[in-house]
Parts: sequence; C-alpha cells; structure tokens
Amino acid sequence: MSDRIEYDVALVGASPSNLTLAYRMVELATGPLRIAVLEKAKEVGGHLLSGAVSNPRVLKKLFPDWDNSDFPLEGICKKSYLTIVGPTGWADVPQLVMPPHFDKRGYAILNISDMAAYIAGKIAEKAGEKEGVVVDFYPGFPARSILFDGDTVIGVKVDDTGDETADNLYAKVTVFGDKGFVSRDLVGKLNLRQNPQAWAVGVKEVWETKESHEGQVWHTAGYPLEKGHLGGGFIYGCKNNKLIVGMVMALDHENPNIRPPIALQNLKKNPVIQEMIKGGKLLKYGASVLPEGGYYSLPKKFAVSGAVLVGDALGTLDVKRFSGVDKAMESGYIAAEVITGALFKGDTSEAGLAGFQEKLMNSFVGKELYDSRYFKRTFQEHPELLNNVIPTLVNHVESGRGVITASVAYGLADPIGGLKLLGAKTMMDNPSEIGPTKYNEDRTHINKSYSSVPLEPAEDYDEDTIHTAADIVFYAHTHYGEENKHIDEFDSSVCGQCVEEYEGRDTPCVGDCTAEVHQILEKEGKRTHAMALENCVQCTTCEIVCPKTNLRVNAALHGYGPDFSGM
Amino acid sequence: MSDGLKMVVLLKQVPDTSSKAGVNPDGTVDRARAKKMLNPFDKYALQKALEVKRAVGGEVIAVTMGPPPAISVLSDALEYGADTGYLLTDRRLAASDTLSTAFALHKAIIYIGSDVDMVFTGLQTTDGDTAQTGPQIAERLDMPQITYCDRLEMKDGKALVRRVVEGGHQDLEIPLPALITVANSATPLEPKRFAAVYKVRELSRDKGAYDEKIKTVNLDDIDVDPAKTGLAGSPTVVGKTWKMGDIGGTCVMFQGGAPEHEVEQLVERLTTDERGIEELIQ
Ligand SMILES: Cc1cc2nc3c(=O)[nH]c(=O)nc-3n(C[C@H](O)[C@H](O)[C@H](O)COP(=O)(O)OP(=O)(O)OC[C@H]3O[C@@H](n4cnc5c(N)ncnc54)[C@H](O)[C@@H]3O)c2cc1C
Ligand SMILES: Cc1cc2nc3c(=O)[nH]c(=O)nc-3n(C[C@H](O)[C@H](O)[C@H](O)COP(=O)(O)OP(=O)(O)OC[C@H]3O[C@@H](n4cnc5c(N)ncnc54)[C@H](O)[C@@H]3O)c2cc1C
Ligand code: SF4
Ligand code: SF4
Repeated sequence: MSDRIEYDVALVGASPSNLTLAYRMVELATGPLRIAVLEKAKEVGGHLLSGAVSNPRVLKKLFPDWDNSDFPLEGICKKSYLTIVGPTGWADVPQLVMPPHFDKRGYAILNISDMAAYIAGKIAEKAGEKEGVVVDFYPGFPARSILFDGDTVIGVKVDDTGDETADNLYAKVTVFGDKGFVSRDLVGKLNLRQNPQAWAVGVKEVWETKESHEGQVWHTAGYPLEKGHLGGGFIYGCKNNKLIVGMVMALDHENPNIRPPIALQNLKKNPVIQEMIKGGKLLKYGASVLPEGGYYSLPKKFAVSGAVLVGDALGTLDVKRFSGVDKAMESGYIAAEVITGALFKGDTSEAGLAGFQEKLMNSFVGKELYDSRYFKRTFQEHPELLNNVIPTLVNHVESGRGVITASVAYGLADPIGGLKLLGAKTMMDNPSEIGPTKYNEDRTHINKSYSSVPLEPAEDYDEDTIHTAADIVFYAHTHYGEENKHIDEFDSSVCGQCVEEYEGRDTPCVGDCTAEVHQILEKEGKRTHAMALENCVQCTTCEIVCPKTNLRVNAALHGYGPDFSGM
Repeated sequence: MSDGLKMVVLLKQVPDTSSKAGVNPDGTVDRARAKKMLNPFDKYALQKALEVKRAVGGEVIAVTMGPPPAISVLSDALEYGADTGYLLTDRRLAASDTLSTAFALHKAIIYIGSDVDMVFTGLQTTDGDTAQTGPQIAERLDMPQITYCDRLEMKDGKALVRRVVEGGHQDLEIPLPALITVANSATPLEPKRFAAVYKVRELSRDKGAYDEKIKTVNLDDIDVDPAKTGLAGSPTVVGKTWKMGDIGGTCVMFQGGAPEHEVEQLVERLTTDERGIEELIQ
C-alpha cells in the first residue's frame, strides 16, 4: 500500500480555475502540502481557448502588478463597441444606449493559454520557496475516470497498465476544473443535476494584421446568425498587431447544421472586418464550448465528499456579462480557502467542504449569476427578440441606417412590439422573481426539417482571408498518434438510422462539428457516419448535439489534440 | 540487477527544431537561448533498449555528454523507463568534434563497467548530423557494431538483428557485447507511464537519492587525458558554413477534381511517367 501515488489535492485540468486554486493554496500553506495537476494537453495551456476580455478583479488578487510586469497581457480595453452587423452593414450602438455590461473599458484582454503557462510557472516558483510544498504538473496525463469509495471520491485513474498502484492517483480532495470532461460522471453518478446545462460553441481565429487595433473590443449581434439563434461575434485588438475574430453560437437552435467555422468565415466577409484583416496572416484557429445555463444549471451541490467542482465544470459562466474567466478564477480562489481549511481540520467529507457553496454564492460569482438568472429565459419568453427585433435591426443597418434610426423605425412600425421589448429589458436587467427556469437539453431543440433562411454573405471579399472548413482545421495544429481513438460511438446502427432520418442533409454531428471530423460517407450506395479523429479539437459540440446521445468525447491520451498556445 | 543485460543508451541533447527561440536571422543557432530537446533519433535507441529489458530483463543506463542542463535528458529517460543515468560534463569538453566526443564517451562506457552487454546509439543527430559517434565508439571499445538496426530479438544469449540496407534488409546473428545504432524505422518510443513520471518527480526532491540515480562525472572521474578531448583533441576544422538557398523545384498541383480523382492522378503520375518522381523531388 505504501507505493500508492498520493497527494493532498488532485486538480483535474490545468484550467484558469484550478491554477488559481493551486496558486492560492500554495500562498496559504503553512506546512507540508502536496498538489498534483493533471492536464490532458501536452503542455499547460495547450488545450485552453477563450476570447477573452475579462474583468481583472481576480487576476489582481494573484498578481497585483498584472498590468505592469511580465504577465502575458494582450492588451487593455480602451474602446468597447456593441455593433449590429449585416452582410455588409455595420453600425455601433451608441454608448449612451449600450447596455452597461457591454462596456469592457479597463478590462484585460487575455489569451488564457499563455496565462495558464504563466501562472503554472509562478506556482512552481512559489512552491519552491516553501519547505514541504509540492506542486507536480502532469501535462499529457488526463484523468480517465473517477475513483470512488461508495459516494466518496478518492482520486482518479490516470493510466491503464492494469496495476492499480501504477494507474491510480489518490487524493484527499479531487477538484474538477475540466469543463465536464470527466466530472460529468460525478454529476451523473451522484445525481447532482437539477436542470441540464445549456451550451454554446465558440470558434475563433487569431490574425496578425497590417495595422494595430490594440485595445479595441467589438461585440457583434445579427448577421450571420439565423432568426432565433442566440449568439454573436467578438473582435478583440491585441498588441503586436494581433487581432482576434470569433463567434459564439448557442446550441439550442433548431438548425441541425449550424456550421460554426463557416459562420465565422461569413462574418469575416463583412467589409469592415475585411478592412481589418486584408493583407494580414491567419495564425491560429480553434474552438471550444461554453456552459451558458448559468444560475439554474448549477448543480445541487458544488462539493461532495472528497471532491469539488469549479469553473465551467461547475457552471460559473455568466453569459449576460460574457464573464467566464474571472468567475472561474474566483471559484478556484474561494475553493482554495475552503480546501485549505478542510485539510487543516482533517475533514474533507461533504460537510467539511460544504462551505464552498455558500461562500461562492455570496461572492460576486453567485451575486452576478443570480442577477443574470433570467437572461437566457428572456429569449425564450420573448422569441420576438431573436426572430424579429434583431433581424429588423440588421435589415435597417444593412440599408445604411444607424442603430438609433433603426430602433426608432422599429418602434414606429410596431409600437406594441416596442413595449414588449421594455418588458424583455426589465427581465434581463432588473428581474423580479418569476420562479426557476427549466431548460431542455440542447439536442432536443434540433428540428430535422428546419429550413434554413440565411442572409447571403457579401461577395466582394479578399479570398486570402477566407478559408474552407477543411483548410481552417490546419490552423488548429492538431496532432494524434495512429492508435488514438478518443470519441466513442456507442452504436453504429443508431448512426445508420440517424443518417437515414437526415436524408438530404447532414446529421447534427456533421453539421455542427468545428473541425471536419464527422462525415457522411457514401459506400455502395449507402450513407454511413464516419470520423476523421485526427482533426478533432476536442470541443465536445458533437456530443452535445447528437440527438440520439450516441457519442462521447473523451480526453485524448498522451497530450494528443490541438495546439491552442496563444489562444 | 545482476541478472539480465547491462545496456547503455547514448542520448544527446540538441536544439529544439520546432521552436524558433535562439535561431539567428542568418540561420545559425544561439545555443544558449535555444530550447533543448532529446535528439529525436535517440528515442529509437532508448525504445530498443527498453524492449530488450522487457523481454529478457536487465538494466538500462542512459548516458549523455553535454553542459550541466543536459541532465534533463536523463530525467526524461528515467521517465520513459531507464534505470539510471550518467551525465558527463566538463568545461574541457567544449568544442569537441566527433573524434573527441567518441573518445570521451567510450571512456565513460568503460567507467560504467567492463560488463556492459550492449550499447545503443541513435542513427545520427539533428544538429551534428555526422552519424560517426556510434561507429567510432564501437571501434574504440573493440565491439562488433550493427548500424541501421531496426529489429532486434534476443535468443539464447545472442541478438538476432535486422539491418536496413539499400534495397532491402540484412539479417544477422551476433554475440554480445555489441554496439547497435538504431534506425528510425524501428519502433517509436512509447509514451511515458504515469507511475514512472511520478517516481522521477519524487526522486527530484531527494537530492541524495537523485545523485545516486543520476551521477555526474567529469574527465578526471573517467580517466580521460584532457589533451584528447575538447578543442585540443579535435582535429576537425570548420572551414566555412553557409546558408542553403531555397530548395526550389517544380510544383505540380492537382486540383479542382474530386479528392479520389486527384489522388489517382498523383499516383499515376508517380508510377507511370518515368520523369514523375524526379520532377517532384527536384
Ligand atoms: C470562444 C470563447 C470565448 C470566450 N470569451 C470569453 C471572454 O471574452 N471573457 C470571459 O470571461 N470568458 C470567455 N469565455 C469563457 C471562458 O473561457 C471560460 O469560462 C473559462 O475558460 C473557464 O475556465 P475553467 O477554469 O473552467 O477551465 P477551462 O477553460 O474549461 O479548462 C479546462 C481545462 O481542463 C483540461 N481537461 C479537461 N479534461 C481533462 C481531463 N480529463 N484530465 C486532465 N485535464 C483535463 C482541459 O484541457 C483544459 O485545460 C469564452 C469561451 C470561449 C469558448
Ligand atoms: C559548437 C560546436 C562545434 C562543433 N565543432 C565541431 C568540429 O569542429 N568538428 C567536428 O567534427 N564536429 C564538431 N561539432 C559536432 C559535434 O562534435 C558532434 O555533434 C558530436 O561529436 C556528436 O556527433 P553528431 O552530433 O554528429 O552525432 P552522431 O554521430 O550523428 O550521433 C550518433 C549517436 O551518437 C550518440 N551521441 C552523439 N553525441 C552524443 C553526446 N554528446 N552524448 C551522448 N551521446 C551522443 C547519440 O546516440 C547519437 O544518436 C561541433 C558541434 C558544436 C555544437
Ligand atoms: S453521432 Fe449522433 S448525430 Fe451523428 S450520425 Fe450518429 S446519431 Fe446522428
Ligand atoms: S469531433 Fe466533436 S469534439 Fe471533435 S472537433 Fe468535432 S465537434 Fe468538436
């Protein structure tokens, strides 16, 4: 038994939340402490992708000189726009009427991949200064499954030599900051979900442009999203002439084929974005998902005996404020304090860790999630927002009008609609209690016979700036060994049936994949589902949208996957 | 560890070719700033030694010659499953050419023991690229050498090996001891196992145990006359280095058709048109 691999704390995922947690625990340590950090990427940060414009409130707590040191900052937001976009139209919402949560001035522009590598370095430095404090990083070693003793989590399985002592990592507390990759098994086994998570997929490109747009931040609404589809674009100007162009699209839309990479290309065809990227160079492409359910998708318990959930794995993202990074980090910061206390008292049972939930809900994380609790529901209860209002605005903007003129025109055309909008605004910003929201799983919204009504993209664009879905995948720099097989397709006959049902179009896994992995192949006159796993960026979109729950995306082994450094 | 074979694997730390750090605009490498990695060819050598150990038992000893930071390739080797390591480091080794490198390394092997059964080296390195070190060491140790080995099996104390030769293979049966340079068509190095990595992490915190597992030696320890190594012992003179121009050549694009059709065209071009291959690689 003495050969067991044991730590005080096992962190699953070298994520913003878990790295904050490790940093804070090392800071608080007054005696021996052993932490292991498991990360599926080959290097810390290698699978991390975000926007990201973020309130630096937690960053400041870790590194008071964050904006004036070797911290890898991409910039600080100086100008912040909310923009209504059409295929060619482009109109900024005037500052005066822009919802305040879209004003990101003073926020940090981050690439969380480099940020993670930086924090990991600082953790190692800090641990080195303290006698008996150990933080071991294991990049390339994902947690494969969770080890239970009854309902108590006692660690995770990391290897599969068949010898338990060599394969298992035991810990007094296991913290999951893994965006659900393995922690969904914990949530499932202990039945912690009261409401499904609602997901969105985000795709992103990093460009080197001819001119600098440092400090400028655009969030866009409208084109190329179809009627009823919640989401939008983001454009962040970074230092060294880097520009980030991305899109986030909810996965609860009817359309079975939302084609995220193509949507992003179509957005880039808008002349204003063309002007920014023309003559530039595409550096990277990537994709990841975002848990958008917020307050009502939080699990019943944030901690159970021997385990804690943090960040996106818990569901701390606040879609109204587009705030995920800071909330994930805060969840780690608070968990660090609770776990330090629990280890000190020698009680890592559910009761010993229970303080986490209360502390987190009393922090800005809980308060803001509560405040935004009806954000998503507003769009459910006011479908006219996405079905009429935005499309009408886009139409007006497309014909060259400003947002104010467009809004007034909308109000005049439909005064009752205008009033209803006020109701929607109140529900979003100042909600009165209307009881809990119920979500249905994203996959249940998909409609086989949905007929797409896209706006035609601009035709006048620079071909060097636009890529096909097959080409864009190269820029994710994925690498897999030949033996790799990280996505399970449970039953091929189910896929066969699905392919038949989606006769004449792509199945959701094909139509929503961000990296051309899923394909329908014609073989001897029969259409079958196939996967080109070597392209996969491990975003999990296909699993979320598969209407038959026939897929599972696992963490790939040996560090295989995309290279998101700098994302 | 008296049972089984005593195997030495020679590993070299080289600049990381995938990283741009330390590459000067003229194409030369600033070794101090460059990121480092284990010579990719040496991974096949390490794998072969580990395979033999798995098959018949024994001990795998990783050896490297280089500046002190090169010790990281030995930790790396232990994480892959090697048992112990030796770092040969000495300021007097600076500017060694292949003659003096091989001399120093052969002395290191003698120092490790007269009972070494097998020495594995990579085919060549990605920086020096001469492929001379292995053969020179074999000559100095007076060991038979098998170069370009891609398969090796132990049978009744002998090694059955397969060499890659132009146009085919050569199968040989050899007695031990022997030096083997492993071809890059051999089995690729298997990924690290979690428990091995864990053990090295633990080891790195126990200075005494670490120094016991990974020993650092200098020229005096291994009984080398400094005049035979370093600049003094290196007759090679680098006349001039220059940057090669672009590779050039013609590029034939197959496009516009269905992928299957394009691949067919490419294959046809390569196999039926006699000039096909030359044209493509010119
Ligand atoms: C396109 C996009 C744009 C966004 N823009 C913004 C923005 O502008 N501002 C903002 O605040 N937020 C933004 N977000 C949200 C933000 O990125 C997330 O909320 C945040 O990254 C969550 O952090 P986390 O700590 O939960 O870890 P995650 O970012 O979810 O990281 C999880 C880590 O765990 C690892 N992992 C997973 N499974 C395993 C396993 N089994 N074993 C080991 N390791 C594992 C992963 O490789 C990864 O490193 C955006 C997200 C996306 C996708
Ligand atoms: C700054 C500099 C100056 C140099 N000047 C000269 C010079 O003037 N003349 C000259 O001939 N060469 C010179 N070299 C090359 C250098 O001597 C060779 O790199 C070295 O001798 C090994 O040869 P190689 O790299 O060609 O290895 P190869 O012979 O191609 O390597 C074959 C195998 O030998 C083993 N091996 C090689 N080197 C080592 C090592 N250090 N430790 C452990 N195992 C090893 C490995 O298993 C490797 O796969 C110079 C190198 C440098 C960096
Ligand atoms: S994986 Fe799911 S969506 Fe894709 S074909 Fe199979 S059943 Fe259909
Ligand atoms: S296969 Fe699934 S996980 Fe992989 S890139 Fe496509 S949608 Fe994402």
